[in-house]
Formats: sequence, C-alpha cells, structure tokens
Amino acid sequence: METTETLVRLKTEAPARIAAAASTEELDELESEIVGRSSPIAAGRRSLGQVPPEQRRDLGRAINDVAKELEALIAARRAVLASAEADAALADDAVDITLPSRIPSRGTTHLVQQVMDEVVDIFVAMGYTVATGPEAETEFYNFTALNFPPAHPTRLESDTLYLEYGDDPEGVLLRTHTSPMQARYMEQHDPPVYLVVPGRVFRRDQVDSTHSPVFHQLEGLAVDTDVTFGDLKGALDHFAREFLGTEIETKFIPHHFPFTEPSAEMHVYANGRWMELLGCGMVNPAVFEAVGYDPDVVTGFAFGIGADRLAMVRHGITDLRHLFDPDQRILEQYR
Amino acid sequence: MKFTLDWLGEFIDLPTTDPDEIAEALENLGHEVESWERIAHRFEGVVIGRVLEVGSHPNADKVRVTKVDVGDEILDIICGAWNFEAGAVVPVAKPGAVLQGDFKISQRKIRGITSNGMICSESELEVGEDEAGIMVLDNDYPDAAERLGQDFSTLLPADDIVFDVTITPNRPDCMSVYGLARELAAFYQIPLRPVDLEIDGGVASTSVTIEDTTACARFVGREVTGLTVGPSPHRIRSRLVAAGVRPINNVVDASNYAMIEFGHPTHAFDVDQLGDTVIVRRASDGETVTTLDDVERTLLPTDIVVADAARPVAIAGVMGGADTEVTDDTRAVFIEAAYWDPASTLLTSKRLGLRSEASARFERGMDPEFCRMAADRVAQILVETAGGTVGGVTDVYAERHVPVAIDLFMSEITRLLGIGFEPAEARSLLERLDFDVEGSDPLTVTVPSRRPDVHRPADLIEEIARLYGFENIPARLRFGTGAGLGTRERRIRSLRSVLVGAGYHEILGFSFIGAADLDALQLADDDPSRVGIRVANPLRDEEGVMRTTLLPGLLKAASANLAKRVDDVRIFEIGKVFLPGSGELPDQPDRLGFIAAGGSPPRWDAPGRGYDVFDATGLWDRIAASMRLDGCAVGPVRQAPFHPGRAVGIMRDGEVIGYVGEIHPAVAATHGLEGRVIAGEVQLDPVIEERAPWQFTPPSSYPPQVFDLAFEVKSDVPAGAILAAIDGAGRGLIEDRRIFDVYEGDPIPEGRKSIAVNLTVRAPDRTLSDDDVAPIRRAIVEAVESETGATLRGVV
Repeated sequence: METTETLVRLKTEAPARIAAAASTEELDELESEIVGRSSPIAAGRRSLGQVPPEQRRDLGRAINDVAKELEALIAARRAVLASAEADAALADDAVDITLPSRIPSRGTTHLVQQVMDEVVDIFVAMGYTVATGPEAETEFYNFTALNFPPAHPTRLESDTLYLEYGDDPEGVLLRTHTSPMQARYMEQHDPPVYLVVPGRVFRRDQVDSTHSPVFHQLEGLAVDTDVTFGDLKGALDHFAREFLGTEIETKFIPHHFPFTEPSAEMHVYANGRWMELLGCGMVNPAVFEAVGYDPDVVTGFAFGIGADRLAMVRHGITDLRHLFDPDQRILEQYR
Repeated sequence: MKFTLDWLGEFIDLPTTDPDEIAEALENLGHEVESWERIAHRFEGVVIGRVLEVGSHPNADKVRVTKVDVGDEILDIICGAWNFEAGAVVPVAKPGAVLQGDFKISQRKIRGITSNGMICSESELEVGEDEAGIMVLDNDYPDAAERLGQDFSTLLPADDIVFDVTITPNRPDCMSVYGLARELAAFYQIPLRPVDLEIDGGVASTSVTIEDTTACARFVGREVTGLTVGPSPHRIRSRLVAAGVRPINNVVDASNYAMIEFGHPTHAFDVDQLGDTVIVRRASDGETVTTLDDVERTLLPTDIVVADAARPVAIAGVMGGADTEVTDDTRAVFIEAAYWDPASTLLTSKRLGLRSEASARFERGMDPEFCRMAADRVAQILVETAGGTVGGVTDVYAERHVPVAIDLFMSEITRLLGIGFEPAEARSLLERLDFDVEGSDPLTVTVPSRRPDVHRPADLIEEIARLYGFENIPARLRFGTGAGLGTRERRIRSLRSVLVGAGYHEILGFSFIGAADLDALQLADDDPSRVGIRVANPLRDEEGVMRTTLLPGLLKAASANLAKRVDDVRIFEIGKVFLPGSGELPDQPDRLGFIAAGGSPPRWDAPGRGYDVFDATGLWDRIAASMRLDGCAVGPVRQAPFHPGRAVGIMRDGEVIGYVGEIHPAVAATHGLEGRVIAGEVQLDPVIEERAPWQFTPPSSYPPQVFDLAFEVKSDVPAGAILAAIDGAGRGLIEDRRIFDVYEGDPIPEGRKSIAVNLTVRAPDRTLSDDDVAPIRRAIVEAVESETGATLRGVV
C-alpha cells in the first residue's frame, strides 16, 4: 500500500519539479532522486519480491508506467535545457569579429616581372618559345651582327655602358636591347623560329622620370618561309588587345632600326593620346646573312617591347623611378 | 633637327598649315616630330614702339629713362641698354607679357622711378643671339615705324611654327629643310620647287690636290671676294636661332644656313690666311692643329686633314683650324664643300672626342653629287648678305659616284609585305621619291646619290611600304611552332611564388654597385665577390662596378624601408651577378637573394616578433621542399657578411650553393639596420634545375604509436646530430619526429642540456603493437646515446 501511495504522490508532484529544473545539472540530480537507484521507484521495484504474487504483476506495471512517464518528461526537459545551454555557451563564445583577421601575409611579384610574364604568356599562346640571354654581351652580338653601322650613335660611349673586360675596350658591353638573342638563337637553331626573350637591358642614361640605366624589354622574333609584314601587324595587334584590352587602337608608323627593313613603331591610343609602345620590323636580310640563314628562303619579323613602359601605361605610373624603388609600400601595390 | 614652317614653304606649297596635320604626315613618313611651337606665342604682350625721349635716371648711372610711344599710350620705361637713341623703333614688352623662361613683365620701381615694361633685346625675345643691346627694328624692318602698337609678331612670317624633328641615322638626306620638303612633296604628291644653285665662274686661284681619294672622293672650293664681315640680316639670324644655331657673323651664318637648308656642311677659310695650294692628305704622326675651339689637337696618320703647303688648316669633316678662321677683317673666303668618307670621319671625331654638326652628317654619308651646289649656295648667300663677289671654283672629283641599281621583283614585295603590287604602282611610288625606275618585273631602280641607306630590294620595299601607308597593309594572325615556356621559366615562376607565398616582395635592383658597397660587406680579402668587373664609363661612381652579389642592393633596400618606418621588411630578388670568367664574356650566373628586417609588430592576438636565423633557415626549408631539392644539406659556416654563429651554408653534391642566416651585426650597423636582420643568397641554377616528377605514396591506414624521449647531452652537441641518429635507427617507420623542448639549467648539470623529442611511428601495412615499438624505441635510444654521448632522461 505504501508503494502505491508513493507512486501516486510521485506521479502528481514530480512533473512540476521536472518542469522547474533550471539546468541539466539540477535535472540530473532530480533524475537521480526520482528514478535513480535510491528513488522510490527503484525501492518499489526492489520490494516487488515481497508483494503477494497475485498483486505483483499490477504493481510492477504501475511502477513501470510511472517510471516511463517521468523518464519521458525528464528526457524532454533535458533536450530543452541542453539546447538552451548550448546556445548560451555559443553566445559566450562570440567574439568581436571586427578585430583584424589573421593570415600569414603574402608578398608580391614585381610589377615589371608580372608584365613580362604576361607578355610571354601571350606569345607562348601564339606558339612562341621562351629564351633568355647574357646581359653582359659582346659588341658583335649587340651591334655588328644586327647590322649596326660603325657610325651608329648608340655605339657611342655616351649611350652604351662598356665593361672593362678582355682586350678590346669596346669588346664587352651591357646589352642595350634584348635583340642580341635574335642572332644568338638563330645561330644555334634552324628555322622556323618563333621566339620571345624577356630580359634586362642597359643604357647610359641618368635616372629621371622617363629614363633609367637599367630597364626591361621583351624581344620577339618570328622566322619562317613566308612571314610577312601583315603577320607582324597581326601578332602585335593581338598582343595589344590581349594586354591592354580588346578596344585598344593601334597604328604602325615607319621608323628605322638597323636590324629590320622595313622598320616600324607601333603606337597605341591610351590615356587620351597616341603613344609609342614598341619598335618592330621585318628582319633585315643582312641579319639573316650574319647568322647563316638564306634571306632568299626565309623572311621574318622582330619586335622589342619596353616592359617598364607597358607597366606604366597600364597602371597609371607616371614616373619610371617608382619601378626601381624598393619601398615596400610601393611593392605591396603590385598585387 | 629644328626648322620653321616658313622656311619649308620656300620649297613646297603644303596643302595645309595645320601643324598637327604636318606633324602626322612627317610621322607617317618615318620622321618623328618631337614637338612644334607657334613662334608668336613667345611674343604675347610684346608690341612695336618708338622711343620718343631718352633721359638720365636721377639715382642711377647705368640705366636711362625713356618715353616710348606704343600707339595707344606713352610708357615710361627704364632701360639698361645704350645702343639706341630717341627715334629708334623697338620691341616693347608691356606689363603682363611673359617672355622665355617664364619671365613675367610687370610694372616695377627701379631706384624710385616706375618702369612700365621692358624694351627687349633679340635674345630676350629668342629671335636672335644678340644680347649686347636692344633690338632696333628699323634696321631690319623698314615698315616697322608705321606699325606702332601692333604686335611684334606681325613683323615675322605669319603664324610661323618651329618643328623639332628627329631624323633617324639612316637618313642623312633628311637632315635639311629641303630634304624634308622632298619627303612631304612625295607624301602629298605636290611639286618640289627645283633649285638652281650652281654658279659659273672661272678657275679658283687656289689649287686643290687630293692625296687620299678613299677619304675624300670630291673636293669643291669656291672663292668669294669683296666681303664685309658683319651681322647677318634678321631673317637669317631668326631662322638660325629657330633651328638652334647661334648666329656668329654673315660668313659663318651663310655656311650654317646653307647646311640646314640643303644638308651639306661647308667650311669657309679666310683666303688671306690660306696658302694657294690646298692638299687633302693623311696627317703625319704627331702633327698638330689648333681647331676653332682653340684646342690644340695632336693628329695621327689615320686622321685626314685639309692642309696648305705649310700646315694643316682643318681636320677633314670635323672642324676647321683657328689659323684660317673667318674674322671681322676677312675680305675673301675659300668655301670648302667636300665628300668625306663616313668611316674615316667617324674614326677621327671619335678619337678626338670632337663631334660637330658637320661630322655627324659626314659620318652618316653626304651626297657627293651635291658638293658643288653646296659651295655655290653659300656663295649666293654671301653675295646677298656680305656684299661678296663670286670668284673662281675648283672641283676635284676624284672618285666619281657610281649609282646603285637594284632589280626589284614584284614577288619580293609580296614575300615581305604580304600584299601584291602591280609594277606600275610600285614604280609610281618609287618615282615620287625621285628614284629612277625602268622595266616592269623586275623594276630596275637607280638609287639617288643622296640615299646611302638604299642598297638592296628590302630597302626599296620599305620605301614602297612607307609611301603606300603601313595602315593599308592587312594584318594576319599566324601561329608559330615554338616550344612554349620551358622548364627553366616554369621553375623560376614556381620559385617566385614560393617566396611571394612566404610574404616576400620582389624588387628589380640595379646591376651595378659602387666599390664601397663591397667594402661595406666586410668580405674576406680573398673572397671572390671582391673582384667586381668595372664599368668603363659609368655615369656615377655608385654605378662603377658590376654586382658580384645581390646582398648590397638588398641591404640598401631594407635600410631604406626601415628609414621610411616600414616595420616588417621582406624583400627578394632574382637576378644576375657578374664575375670574371674564362671566356669571351664574364660569368653571369643568376642568383636568388632575400632579406628580412624589422619584424611583425605587436597586435591584439600576438606579441611582436623580430626575425632570426630560424626564419632564414625556415625560408630555405620551404624553398627546398617546394622545389623538391632532395639531397641539400645545411651546415654551420663562417662567411661574411653573415653572423659567424647564426648562419648556414647550403650544400648540394658537396658544393656550397649559398648561405642563409643572420647578417653580421657590424655589417647591419654599417647599413643603418637595427636589430637582427636575416638574409640569404643562393645560386639559382641548382634550385631551378629540372626535377623528375614526384611519385605518390599512399598514406597508411593503420594507427600510429606516439611517444616522447628526452636526452641529456653536452651543450655543444647539435640537435641535428640527435635527429640524424633517430632517423638512422628508425627502420623507416618514423613518420614524424619533433623537438618540442630544449632546456638548460637546474636540474641539468652545467655544460649540458636536455632535448626532448616527440616521435610518431607508423607502419604502412599493419598496426604496430607495443611489442613492435619497444625494439624500435630501444634502437633509437642506443643510437642517440652512442652517436652523441647523450643519456636518456626518461620518458617525459
């Protein structure tokens, strides 16, 4: 009888206490008290042995029903409390997400290098090979093989930096253009040649907003049995559109280089005016003869692009000196 | 070259006066117009005035007070020139005018008296070089007196424009007003006014002998007598000034004027100072001549001189001699117009470092057929401007010009330009440029004597293309058969991205350094980097030596950044160094260099941190791993400019390929760098050489065994020795070993340290049991103890 009364009381009182449990901790204690090992329910089950057999079955069922009902209430309450506690924990874990973020900082490739890589890629996509050559170069490859007459002004000590190396005081110089690689490459390879040469070049210039003793060029050379001036225009127009945008306007005007004939400059309309972007022309037969190609069999075109100038045109840099300034605040812009 | 539009107009009637259009035409012909300028812009606010009164200044001796009628008013002007009196007609810059050099004219007080403007000299107006006095207009412009108050520019050719055109070195024929007029005539298909320059005349009293006909193919001498030397008329002076040539006197000016007009340089000798025989010959060794610039020049037999019986009187094609120079007393001149060989002119002018307007032209090649006309044109001008009388002429034409004839096949034009031409079309284009053309296919083209640049079909095709217009040749996009980027280029790009990913910024440093930069590295006396190749003609001492190492540039870059308060400097460069080699050229290997200085500043989540050697070795490890440089070892090294105890050498195949570590504090201090600075310099080729593709290893799916070992060892035993011993004993099962503690101090005895290692062992094919691991562990401990003298402290 006692058990039955206890069950009735439990069944009446416990639900309110479960509902009032304020934390999973409190609920755990309550659970232990209501359905745990020392709870009246556990006690009731233990006492079933002394209950007469004819009552045992009904009493057992009654205990189980109450236990099930209360356990279900506890589980439901636990779910509610756990979810609230998890939410509270997350709320506690919140941070000021406007604080500066954390990632190892990244460096930059130099802008002129980026430009050279990009131009190289444009020509590689057109079927060219990449090669590079020596910066300290012989007079022969820099001038004579390229059909520069002995009187050409660029040969002067006022224009070209010579090195104290070897017996001939004018024998070794800092290359004034990437064009020597035309001759070097053709000497070592049979036609056809489709070549692009990025590199550093030198002139005896004081540093100012448009001059530097060190700057960068990309040389191009295409030699085959049927390369024409039309191909030259096609290749360079394509380059200009790829590099400066499809809307870019170009024009070719006559010029003179000893190693091309006819020679031209390509101008582009940029920043509100026409500006010279590169020099080019059909390879002079004298150059073919100097490298052992037969000018009656092959024709070709060559071009030289100023990489620094390209960078300046595209990125709004008006002073060449910025490109050679190691100021990291400048370098960080080269993203 | 500079010239005025008015001058050009003497030879052609251009269809336009728009300077932009003319500039575009010149550009389409291949003559780049640097600039053009309206002369009238130089004279805004300058009017014609007449001096009414000239009086003394009460408070100043050197200036006078004038009253000048400028048409609508009379201005009081103070003037420092004394070459005029009342009645003179003069240019007056009124207040508000702006003269050359941004010189603003305003009302101003001079010693108590107000001056309302300025009376101008020729040089102030940039119309002449005469600075001695003000420009008296009635001398040259008789009608100026009727134009008081009008703009000064109305006296000048209407709207005259100065063009500055760059002539490419292959076109000596265009180094003249007439030459460019000929080009424009061809472009616009308008007539070029023919000029009649030859004058008859008897035989000159001076005889000419050419001893070296290779150096001098032709020598014309024209005598002009009865001269009065004085200033040239304003028209000639102003054109010379516009052309950038300083007027001297009417004789010198005539020679310069004719040169700009027709291109061919001439030289006038004072007949009274010149013997009556002229010889063109090689100089004798050591012979001297004093040139017009009053410098005594010592000559060699490679130099050609014009001499009389007694001595050289000019260095051929380069500069005349002082002895026979035209002076104010000169009454008669012998005008030389010769064809000087380009190569020998160049040799002499270069050797003497004496480059003149004349030598620049002869070096490029003048027209041998034009010599007579060049001399006679000077004579004509002298008759007009110096009261001269034309005398006799001597014309020794030793090596007659042989015209160049070229066969031009139409197929050749197509081959080069990509479009076909009918013979008649090609012929008409060439004839516009005064080429003589015969036949049809091939055209037989005779090249004018003034065109030394044309000697093969390609040269003619350029002429055709130029006149036809490059814009009319259709473009075609063709693809090549090249091999693409290549391993080297690809590997360099990978390397660059490793450094960029590690936070380093690339610079492109100059390739030269100063000798002092090498000293600042405190290199050993026998360090190969000490031997830099010198630049023979550097612009600055700081650029006098080719760099032998990238470090000076990097140190300077770091220092400059710290000075600008950049707090975390990380910079790298990939570039060539230059070292003496055994071949024709210096060795010029590529290097990778880097530097880091300063450090990360404190921030909300982390304290600040500077750099030390482990950042340097860490960067190298990153590079080695990313570039898959197996078989590179590092070891301690003493190498300037690195810290003797905080740097490593990088070894590959037994050879040192570079160094990374901290910069020696003394070197850092010399460069103004505070705190620890790390840097490295490594040969590029071993880093970027091609590597076989890496091969996949499947990760083990079995669990690892993890345990720690702590060793006590003598303080000078490197941790690397312990790791090496561990690796050697690991039977290939060590997946990871990580030093997590290095400790010196109590309870470790003095002179010893504790190194604790965390080990992960794992087998690819099975779960390792405790029984498997025990012998491995034992083997590791034994190896470490026997190889490094360590003792096991116990399992931590």
